[in-house]
Amino acid sequence: MSTATLAEVAETYRHPESLGNFLRDRNPITLLVALVSLAVVAAAVPGLITPFAVCAVFVLLAFAGGVGPAYTATYLKLWAVVGFILFLLRALLLDGEHVYFTFGNLQVTAEGVYEGLRFAAVVMAICGAVTLFFALVTMRRLMLALEMRGVSPRASYVLLASFQSMTDLGATAKVVLDAQKARGIETEGGLITRAKAFFPVLAPVFLSAMTATEERAIALDARAFNSPAAHSHLVQLPRTATWEWLAAGLFAAVATACVMGRFLGWL
Amino acid sequence: MASNGYFARLLRGYGRLTIFMIPIGIAINFVGGQIALLLKLPVYLDSIGTILVGATCGSLPGALVGLLSNAINSITSPQTFAYGILSVIFGLLAGWFGRMGWFRSFWLSLLSAIPFALVGGVLGALITIWVFGGLAGDGTGIVIGTLVALGMDLTTANFAAQMPMDILDKVPTVLIVYAIIRGIPKRLFVKLPLGYVYLGKPAPKLAPATAPATTEQQAGPRS
Repeated sequence: MSTATLAEVAETYRHPESLGNFLRDRNPITLLVALVSLAVVAAAVPGLITPFAVCAVFVLLAFAGGVGPAYTATYLKLWAVVGFILFLLRALLLDGEHVYFTFGNLQVTAEGVYEGLRFAAVVMAICGAVTLFFALVTMRRLMLALEMRGVSPRASYVLLASFQSMTDLGATAKVVLDAQKARGIETEGGLITRAKAFFPVLAPVFLSAMTATEERAIALDARAFNSPAAHSHLVQLPRTATWEWLAAGLFAAVATACVMGRFLGWL
Repeated sequence: MASNGYFARLLRGYGRLTIFMIPIGIAINFVGGQIALLLKLPVYLDSIGTILVGATCGSLPGALVGLLSNAINSITSPQTFAYGILSVIFGLLAGWFGRMGWFRSFWLSLLSAIPFALVGGVLGALITIWVFGGLAGDGTGIVIGTLVALGMDLTTANFAAQMPMDILDKVPTVLIVYAIIRGIPKRLFVKLPLGYVYLGKPAPKLAPATAPATTEQQAGPRS
C-alpha cells in the first residue's frame, strides 16, 4: 500500500470537529461574510431603525449560537463605554435648529440627538459584527479555514502564537512584577514612583521573550514546520455545504445593493 | 515551497527568526499596555513591540506587528481599528531609524520620540476628526469634549489633547526599546535582520529575491 492510500484510509477514521451548535459549526469564512454584510447594511441604509435592528439581530444570533449571555454582557458594556460616549458628545456638542434645552455652554438639539443616535448605532453595529464573529468562531478554527483556502501556515502560526504569547507574557509580567515588589521596588504611590517601576518589570520580561524565540524556532524546525510539503492538521472542519456559500453570497449581494442604493440615491 | 505563499515571500530575506519575533512583538505591545494600566500610568505604552521589532528586524516586520496588534485589539474594542495606519507607520519609521543606527545611542533614541509623537499626535487627531467627526469614544474624547465645552473649537481641541498625550507616551516607549536593545545578547543579534547595526558590522549583501529556497535556508539564521 502506497503512503497516499494509507493516508486516505487513515482519513476515513477522522471526524470533523463539531462544536455542537448549528451556527458555530458553519464555515468561519461564510459566517464572516454574513456578519460583515449585516454591518454594511446598517451603515448604508439611512435612518435609525436599520442600525438598531442590526444590533438586535446580532444579539439574537448570539443566543442562536449559544453564546447569548456572555455576548450580551460584552455588547452592553461596549454600548455603555463607547456607544454612549459617541452619542453623548454629539448630542451635547453638535449645533442645530431645534433646541431642546440649554445647559451652560451646551445646547441639546434635535439634530444633535438624531446624529448622535445614528452614529452610535452604526459604529456599534460594526463593533457588534466584529465581537459576535469572535464570540462564535475560535481563532484556531478561523485560521484552519483560511489555511484551507490557501493562506500560508506561517501566517496562521504568527496569529495563533501571538495569542499564546500574550497569555504567556502577561503571566510572566505579573510574576516579575511580584518578584520586583518583593525586592523592594515600589509599585504604589506617586506617578513618578509608579512610572519608575515600569522599566524593571518589563525589561526582563521582554528580553527573555526575545531570547526564547531561538528555542521556538528550533522546536518548530524539529516538527518540520519549514518543510515544503503540505501540512497536516490535527483538527478538521466540517465540510462546507453549497447552500452555505450561496447564503453568504446572498448576504454580500444584499449589502452591495444597499451600498449602491445609497450612492445612487435609491434609499 | 508550495505551501508557503504570499506571506512567506513577503518576509523572504528577513531571515528565519523574524517570523518568531512578530508574535513576540505583538505580545509585548499588549503586555506593555496591560502593565501601564496595572501601574495606573496615564499613558498607553502599547507600541513598544512595534518599535522594538521594527528596530531589530526592519520596517516591514515592524509594520506587520503594528497592523496585527491593532487588528487583535479591535476584537475587543473595534473602534481602535481606525487607528491601524498609525501603528503601521510606527513600525516603518522604527525600521528606518533602526537601519540608521538611532537606537544605538541613548540621545538619538530619545530624539526619535519626537517623530513618533508627531505621527501619533497629528495623524491620530486627523483620524479622530475624519472618522469620528472629532469626537471618539475614549478617554481623550472626554478631554476633547471638555475643551470644546470650554469654548475651544473642535479641531484645535483635538490637536491640543492628542499631542501632549503622545509625547508622554512615546518618550518612555523609546527608552524601554533602547534599554531592551542594550540587553539583547550578541548571539541573538547575529540572527536578526538588522542585528548588524548593533554589532557595528557593515550591512550584509542582500541575496537575490529569486534565489531558490535551499540557499535561503542555508543562509538563514542557523548559519
